[in-house]
Amino acid sequence: MASQRGSRGESLLVRYLILTAWALFCLAPVLWFLSIGLRPRTEIVTPQPIYWPTFSLDAWHMIWSDWPMAAYLRNSVLAVIGSVLIDLVLAIPAAYSLARYTYRGREDIGFYILSTRMMAPAIVAIPIFFLFRNMGLLDTVWALMLIYAAINLSVVTWIIRSYMLDIPKELEDAARTDGASDMRILWEIIIPAILPGIITAGVIGAIFAINEFLFTLLIASTSRAYTMSVALANFTGGSDGVIYNAIALVAFLAFIPVFLVVVAIQKHLSRGLTMGAVKG
Amino acid sequence: MARIELTGIQKKWGSVWGVRDVDLDIADEELVVFLGPSGCGKTTTMRMIAGLEDPSDGEIRMDGEAMNEVDARDRDVAMVFQGYALYPNMSIYENIRFPLRMRGVPKAEHDARVRQAAEMVELGDYLDRKPGALSGGQRQRAALARAIVRQPQVFLMDEPLSNLDAKLRQAMRVQIKHLQRQLKITTIYVTHDQIEAMTLADRIVIMEGGRVQQIGTPDEIYSDPANTFVAGFIGSPPMNLVRGRLDGGRFTAPGIDIAGIGIEGVRDIVLGVRPEDCHVSADGAHLSGQVFGVEPTGDMTYLTIRTDGVNIEVKADRDYRSELDVTETVAFDRDRLYFFDGETGQRIRQA
Repeated sequence: MASQRGSRGESLLVRYLILTAWALFCLAPVLWFLSIGLRPRTEIVTPQPIYWPTFSLDAWHMIWSDWPMAAYLRNSVLAVIGSVLIDLVLAIPAAYSLARYTYRGREDIGFYILSTRMMAPAIVAIPIFFLFRNMGLLDTVWALMLIYAAINLSVVTWIIRSYMLDIPKELEDAARTDGASDMRILWEIIIPAILPGIITAGVIGAIFAINEFLFTLLIASTSRAYTMSVALANFTGGSDGVIYNAIALVAFLAFIPVFLVVVAIQKHLSRGLTMGAVKG
Repeated sequence: MARIELTGIQKKWGSVWGVRDVDLDIADEELVVFLGPSGCGKTTTMRMIAGLEDPSDGEIRMDGEAMNEVDARDRDVAMVFQGYALYPNMSIYENIRFPLRMRGVPKAEHDARVRQAAEMVELGDYLDRKPGALSGGQRQRAALARAIVRQPQVFLMDEPLSNLDAKLRQAMRVQIKHLQRQLKITTIYVTHDQIEAMTLADRIVIMEGGRVQQIGTPDEIYSDPANTFVAGFIGSPPMNLVRGRLDGGRFTAPGIDIAGIGIEGVRDIVLGVRPEDCHVSADGAHLSGQVFGVEPTGDMTYLTIRTDGVNIEVKADRDYRSELDVTETVAFDRDRLYFFDGETGQRIRQA
């Protein structure tokens, strides 16, 4: 008995060691960025190895004083949140339709929606530019919301649909005989049951959106609409050359909101809310 | 509260028949059980009554009113599902209350009715829990409470007990029957379990291959089966069915010889005899064969006799014992012999 417990303890220790090593390995790029961002610019570009790095807030001061970083961050957050909300409002009914109703061409429509994701975005870049110019939306956060939503709608729809397919049909039959309309079933039964799926889809949409570069560059021209991802590009050109420590720090800042969101909803990502709905 | 009439009901998916030519008239307050093996069309028939499936042909009426075009949510029907189908995000209280909210029952009545329904199934202490925190039997009772809370015209129960263990199933069976009598609601109950069917039903509808095989009270189904399917499906162990030849009122099959049968002609025929109507006996024997198995169960002994590759089940006395492979003779209860057409399987009655 005692030896059993001993070996159990050991295997637990080994497991934690492996997990810790893996966590550090995954975190390495993030920590590396932070380390670059908090060192003087000269130290980063020197070819000699450095054993004892110098701490410096140069990059930190620079990005806040020389650049409207707060505006970039605000634009990113607003555009991402807005686009995810638009996506969810459109994707949930669409996914429900694709998952539950049978009609001609349902599978084709499903594939067509997904295929928008397979197209090279550059193909539509010029038309999109003219479209937004004609609507007077160039250089606005509204335009970013719309374009991010459009890009991610297919993926978000597809993810939510796959969660909906896992809901037992019996649950909907029960609600229907209880007297619920389709919209009631969607709102009171389906959506609560697939909340983890909706959150997952939203987070994936948000990650895609915050990293979006091409269309943001096309639409944004000033700090009214510049986002973190485009701001990064600001440090690569110009008379100052490539400012590595600032890039690293901005990349780190862009990573934080996504990181916080994921930590906050981690519980929902792994927990299946359909537990206990049917036998088992 | 409601009479249900099915006329010429058909259900076809592409070229596959689900249900064929079902005609059925269910009286008010009656408890009818649809019984049959899986895939026999019993659940499909029930779902058509609920409005969850549309019949391909035929008419469904409730209290004389055509229901075919009425949506499931507008039929005054409550259904209990095999997998319970409780709403996982809602407490048991909210689960039971859901139909009241959906049907626009005045809010003021909700609390009293939810509590009353929960009391009827002895679930009053669990109203705050989520379905995931209940045992199988409790979930089943919650599903029942949700069905009875709004006092519907018709109850539909789709194998509600099949996920429970044997002991709980017996207790729930009694409870369901009691509730049905108390509430006086027309009920259709689907099961593949013949014991459930026999114990619960006012009338049993036996289905197979999408068709109704027989409709009758449990007694009729048991003692007056219409064909070999019904005969072989009901009873435990089921009725012995032996193929043989009828000639001049004399039935012969390997090891079996019965004279004086009131059926004319010369034909292939199937003899049916229930295990309890077979008696181990030295004189006047109809069957002679080798003892193949002896299974004492305490209150009786199951004896299997084999003759020319055919096994005959016999319910023998509790103290019957025998070596294997010895010859044993059995007399049948002459008033309880059944004959079926060798080709169609339909019952042939003696003159």
